[in-house]
Order: sequence, then C-alpha cells, then structure tokens
Amino acid sequence: MRFARAVLVITAALLLGAASPALAQTFVMGIQGEAVSFDPAIITDGISAWTTNQVYDPLVKYKGSTTEIQPALAEKWSASADGKVWTLELRKGVKFHDGEPFDAAAVVWNFERWWKEKHPQHENQLKAGQTFEYWEGQFEGFDDKSIVSKVEAVGTHTVRVTLKQPQAPFLANLGIFSFGIASPKAVEKWGTEFGKHPVGTGAFKFVEWKPNQEVVLEANPDYWGQKAKIKRLVFRNIKDNSQRLAALKAGEIHGMEGLNPDDVKVVRGDASFQLLRRPPNNVGYVAFNYHVKEFQDKRVRMAFAHAINKKGIVDALYGGIGVAATQQQPPSLWGYNKDIKGYDYNPAKAQDLLKQAGFANGISEITWDDGKKEPLILWYNSRARPYFPNGKEIGEAIAADLAKSGIKAQLQTAEWAVYLNQRKDGKMGLYMLGWTGDNGDPDNFSCYFWCSPGASREGFYSNKPIADLLLRASVTTDQAERAKLYRQFEQMLHDDVARLFIANTEPPLAFSKKVKGYVPNPTGSEYFNTVELQ
Amino acid sequence: MRSYAIRRTLTILPVLLGVSLLVFGFVHMIPGDPAVTMLGERATPEKVAAIKQRLGLDRPMYVQYLIYIGRVVRGDLGVSIVRGDPVLPDLLRRFPATVELATASILLAILVGVPVGIACAVWRKSLLDSLSRVGALTGVSMPIFWLGLMLAWVFGVELKWLPTGGRLDSGTSFEPWTNFVIMDALLKGDWAALRDALRHLVLPAVALATIPLAVVARMTRASMLEVLSRDYIRTAEAKGLRLATVVLRHALRNALLPVLTVIGLQVGSLLAGAILTETIFSWPGIGRWVYESIESRDYAIVQGATLFIAAIVVAVNLLTDLLYAAVDPRIKYD
Repeated sequence: MRFARAVLVITAALLLGAASPALAQTFVMGIQGEAVSFDPAIITDGISAWTTNQVYDPLVKYKGSTTEIQPALAEKWSASADGKVWTLELRKGVKFHDGEPFDAAAVVWNFERWWKEKHPQHENQLKAGQTFEYWEGQFEGFDDKSIVSKVEAVGTHTVRVTLKQPQAPFLANLGIFSFGIASPKAVEKWGTEFGKHPVGTGAFKFVEWKPNQEVVLEANPDYWGQKAKIKRLVFRNIKDNSQRLAALKAGEIHGMEGLNPDDVKVVRGDASFQLLRRPPNNVGYVAFNYHVKEFQDKRVRMAFAHAINKKGIVDALYGGIGVAATQQQPPSLWGYNKDIKGYDYNPAKAQDLLKQAGFANGISEITWDDGKKEPLILWYNSRARPYFPNGKEIGEAIAADLAKSGIKAQLQTAEWAVYLNQRKDGKMGLYMLGWTGDNGDPDNFSCYFWCSPGASREGFYSNKPIADLLLRASVTTDQAERAKLYRQFEQMLHDDVARLFIANTEPPLAFSKKVKGYVPNPTGSEYFNTVELQ
Repeated sequence: MRSYAIRRTLTILPVLLGVSLLVFGFVHMIPGDPAVTMLGERATPEKVAAIKQRLGLDRPMYVQYLIYIGRVVRGDLGVSIVRGDPVLPDLLRRFPATVELATASILLAILVGVPVGIACAVWRKSLLDSLSRVGALTGVSMPIFWLGLMLAWVFGVELKWLPTGGRLDSGTSFEPWTNFVIMDALLKGDWAALRDALRHLVLPAVALATIPLAVVARMTRASMLEVLSRDYIRTAEAKGLRLATVVLRHALRNALLPVLTVIGLQVGSLLAGAILTETIFSWPGIGRWVYESIESRDYAIVQGATLFIAAIVVAVNLLTDLLYAAVDPRIKYD
C-alpha cells in the first residue's frame, strides 16, 4: 500500500506542473497539417508555405494586407515598352543562411532550375516524382514551351528576363511563395533532400522538422529587412480544428488557422483572444454541368440564381466571415465589377422563369446529353474549404431554397478525393466548389476556368468571346485597360448566368491577445518578423 | 512444441501475401485518384495524365502489383506519392510513437481491467459489479474521437493539468535516440523530458485504452466466474484458505487463458483505434500518418503501413498462441 502511494505521489509530481520555460521566447502557430517539403519550387500546398514564407524571400512581395507588389530581393524593376523585357535590380549585401552571397548569378540559377527540365536540380526532382507545378502554371510550361525565353545576369546585381510575349501578371506571379529564392549551393549539396534542409535569405532560419509534430525556425540575426522580434518560431501540426482551438485555449499555441465557423463566435466572445481575417481572396460557387440539357437553357440557370438566398446563407452559416458573392472575382481584386449586383432572391420570379422554360411543375430530374435521366443531385464538398467552410450545411440551405421555387435537388457528397475525381470526369450535374487566389491578379481567377471553351474542368462551359477577351487581357500591359476587360468579362458571365456565385469569405485566424503585429494577407503569404509577444 | 512453432511461423508468409494482395486491391479500388487529389481544385486532364505517368499509375494493375511485391520482398515498401520519400524509413521513424501509445494503453487496460474483472467476479452482483458493467458498456460504445475531445477539453483547457495534444512540448530541444521518447529520456536521465513525455502520453493512452479496458474487465469477470464455480476452488475454500489465496493463486491462472487471447486480439483493434486517437491528439505515430495518406490517396504509404500493421498483428497472435503453453502447462502442441 505504501509502495502504491509512493508511486502515485511521484506520478502526480511528474505529470502536474508548469509548462517549460522555453516557450517564453517562442511563438507557436497551430497549423492544419503536415508540410510536403520546404523546397518552395516544388510545393503547391499552403501548409508547406507557412514555413517557406519565413525561410525564403521572393524577388517581390505582396504589401501588407493587399496584393500590391512591393520590393523584396529585387529593389527596383522596369519593363521595356513592349512589355517583353524585364530588368530587375537586386538588393545588395544580402546573404543566404549558409553564408553564400545573394546576387544575379543566384537568381539566374534559380530561374534556370525552375524553367529547364534538363537542369540537374530540376531533372533529379522529376526522377523523384516531383514537379515544378507553379512554374508550369504561371509561366506556361518548361523549356521552349515557357513564356520565358531568356534569363541573364547583366551585372552582379541586375537580372534581365526576356519573355516571348508580354505577361501582364509577371511581377504578381514572382510574388507567389513558390518563387522564393533558394541558395544554389545548398540545393546542389542536398539534391532531392533539399526540401528537408531549406536555405534561403528569409527572416527565419530553419532549425528542425519533427515529422507530424512541428517545424522549428529561429530568427535570422543578419536579415536584410525588419529583424524578427521573437527568437523562435514553431509551426505545430494539429490536424483537428476543435483540438487546435483547445490548444489555443490551453495556452499551448499562440495563434491558429482553420477555425470552424461556429468557433468564430467563441473566439470573438472571449476577451483573451483576437480574431484576424484575411481579406477575401476566394469564391465559392455552384457549377452547372453543361452536358445536362436542362442547364443549357439560360432561363433555367437564371431561375436557380433567383431561387437561392445567398445573403441568408452567408448570414446564418458563415459565422460573420462571409459576404454574398456576385461574380467570379472577389471584391478585393482590381478587376472586380462593382456594378454587378447579383441576382436578387425572388422565388416567384424563379418559378416564373421555370414555367417559361417549360418546367411548370419544377425540376427534380436532369437529362444528360446522351438522353440518360437521373434525379437532380446537388453535390456538396465533404472537406471544409475556405469558401465553403461547412459544405453540408450550406448545401442543405441551398437545396432548401431551391425547393421553395420548385427545384427539388437531392443532396449528396463524396469523400474529397472522390469528389475531385468526379468533377474532373464531369460526372456531377450540379456541384459546389470554389477557388482561392494565388497572386491577386484577375487572370489567376479567370483563365483557368474560362479560357478553354468546352473543357471539362468546370462543367464544359463554352463561350469563345469570353475566352478571347480573357486571352487579350492576359497580354495587355496597361492595368487600367486590363481592369476594363475584366469588368467586361464579369458582365458577360453574369448576363449568361454561367455559374452561381455564392460567397466570398475572409478566412479567420485566431490569436492570443498577447500577440501583436500579425498582418493577414489575402494570398496567405504572411510573415512573422513583425510579430511580437507581449 | 518447436515444430509447432516453426510450422505456425511459416503460415505467416501466405497470410502476409494474401494481405498484400487484399490491401493492394482495396487501395486501388477505392475511388479517388492521387493525381487529382494532389492537384485539388487546380486539376486539369493534362496535368493529371502527366502525374499518373510519372508515378507509374497508368500501367496495368497487375504490373503495378508485381512491381510492388517484388520491391517488398527486397525490403522496399516504395516511395510516397506525395512527398517522394521512401516509405520504410518514415514508417520506422513513426512506429515507436505508436508502440509507446499502444503499450501504455494495453498496460492501462490490463492493470485496471484485470483487477476490476476479478473484483466483479468475487463480489458478484455488488454495487462495484453493476458500476463496472455500466462503465464497460459506456467504454465500449463511446466514440474515441468524442472521448478524446472531451478529455482534452476538461484536462487540457479547463483544468490545465495536461497538454491537449502532441508528444513533447513545442520547441523542446530533447533529441531522442530511438524515437521511443520515454525510454530515451530514461536512458539519458533527462527527467524534464521524461515528465514532459509522460504528461503528453496520459490523455491519448486513456482514450485509446477505454475499449480494451472494458473488454478485458468483462472477459476477466466472465472467465473468473466460470473458474470460481469449479470443484477444486470449492475444495480450496473448504480447506480454509484465505480468499486472496484462492482467487489469486488458484483461480486467476486458469481464468487468465481466455483473457490472454482477448488481449492478443485487442492489439489489432488498438492499432486501428490509434488512427483516431493519434489524429485527435496530434500524436506523431503511424495511425495518423495512415489517416492522412488515405485522404491524399498516397497508395505507397497506405499499402506499406497496412502490410506492416498486418505483420505485427499476425506476430502478436502467434506470440499469444505460443504463450498459452507458458500459462497453461496442460497445453501441448504436436
């Protein structure tokens, strides 16, 4: 008995007690999962980018909470009159974390690695099953296919990039997290393992990656810009949203991403926390599949648009972080068309439109092009997305609204991997999905969907005038002129009721009240050198 | 005995081959495509085709299986589709965390479940017996993720006694040698790290132990009741032996045999339960890793880890069979 009591006392002493003092100088951010790699050139996921944004600097950055371009490793730049030649003046006196100098040669080396498939540090990644996804997407492929035709050093700190044709979002593209400049020597040293040993010029140096636990960084005392106010920065991997909030409440972490909409209110109502929101850079929509005969009739599509009470849905289900969407681009983009007010919620009008289209008794069934009929199903996303944080509830609300106008849709979902596959194969007739922007440029929100008429990627929509207009906008260098084109594009989409835009959200971040200086950015490129713990 | 052990061990091979075939088949049969999942909203048919070709997923299924099994025989579990890292070293790095958690849970289940079972059998129909029955029923039927969240909320957030998740505090500099953190901390004599590791272990171990604990307690009770009604127990009691001697020395050893079987079988369900527990408590073991890999359709990891887990379950069951002889000398193998 005495032994048992002794064991109990020792156990209690071991278990109960204050947290370790190491935390005082350390900022811990709770994030939603495990990084893929810290080689920025090959990643596409936001989780890896939390770390790479601190370790690397791109040539240009997005300013504060906007997507305006500001200097980073490039101090100044200029474009030739035809928009094809960009000259970038690099910052002097900057060193990589491994002590190597940052100069024009390093930048050219990085470009060539991204761009040329035969570059040894590109080829080895391909062999290891990785790809330079963002380069391919933003600069239109590799080698001869790419829009880039030449990258050269024209001085120790001057780089000239020549394009085959003007690319309006060229600078905005260079600000994307994938184009952080890596130390050539470190990449050559580690090869395909570089993603586990990242070396950049950023405000934080990499210390350690504990798989499925956390990533540890430390302040870079030689940083060229504003030096970090915290000594260590830890990204802690807590997959479950509720559990992450529990960790925040318990004081184990100082900040977190990925709040459940219901928890937004909890955080708002608690004086020990603060809620920050990223400016809206996403859009959630309901897509029509144009291989469904009913949806080929504009009156039917318009009936759907009038049947959905977007404001009601946003007010009830977004925890105060959403706004009703009216178009493809979110309001924060400069191509946004303020004149489009969206279709008003009007069930009577919806019913009337259905009647005109020959569906006086409403719609509960759809007919595919091949004549196959099936019940009308509204597919909702099973995984929380920034634009549809709770797909099921939002889907239910949309279906309930549709039912009031005589459109009876059954609800269905599929596990995320299956869902994406069905969408790729064009198997869903009516489904919820969305988009989150990469670089704040309207092209990034539009061309993927609307530049390839008839493509399966979002319901086989085909509209050549829209595609031509967007392609023109993408090579126009004058921003005012481009803005006009994008506004026109939005009007055309709206008039055709091409898609049902439901909501834009401001993804919430929760922090302890002690945290100061965190600046949320629409692209998610956020930096911890301005953050302090009080 | 020896020839039985050898024969029994050899049967593992066809079992594992069968498992590999099943796992490969099931993993590839579940709808959803790793290439599409990797690309997310940005998938286009061209990009998907390029990735599939790169990963060899465009080849016929049997070719993929033969390549896979050929590698497995050589000790190569393949390369993660998403990360490009070899699966085996990653698996071995994460495995100690799962072993630590599962061991703590099974110990908790045995140390609490067996005495409770015995007590319920000895004092049958007492208040303790009724309470434990209710407790066992609750334990078996409680969803682990819910229990996990509740435990974290009560002990982590409200009382602040224990951490809500993770394996060590953030930013600790403790460098484990083997990744068995508790053992490493003991070997290094690092008491702060040991305390830290134990504090993190308590809640997930309790959450994971509930089901096996309930099962072990009920099984011990049933088995004990059966033994206690035997003639030799009555004889022992008639001889005037103390209750403790009768129960612990004469009855328990015979009653333990079926309990042992159950414990052996629980190892399988513990590893399954670890998937949820590890996810809830951010425990860096293979359960959570498998969960995330299923989500991203990382075939190589799911296949490798499942095969590995199957091998362990088979091995534990073999061990249980062989242990019978040690517990019960009457059992002889031809």
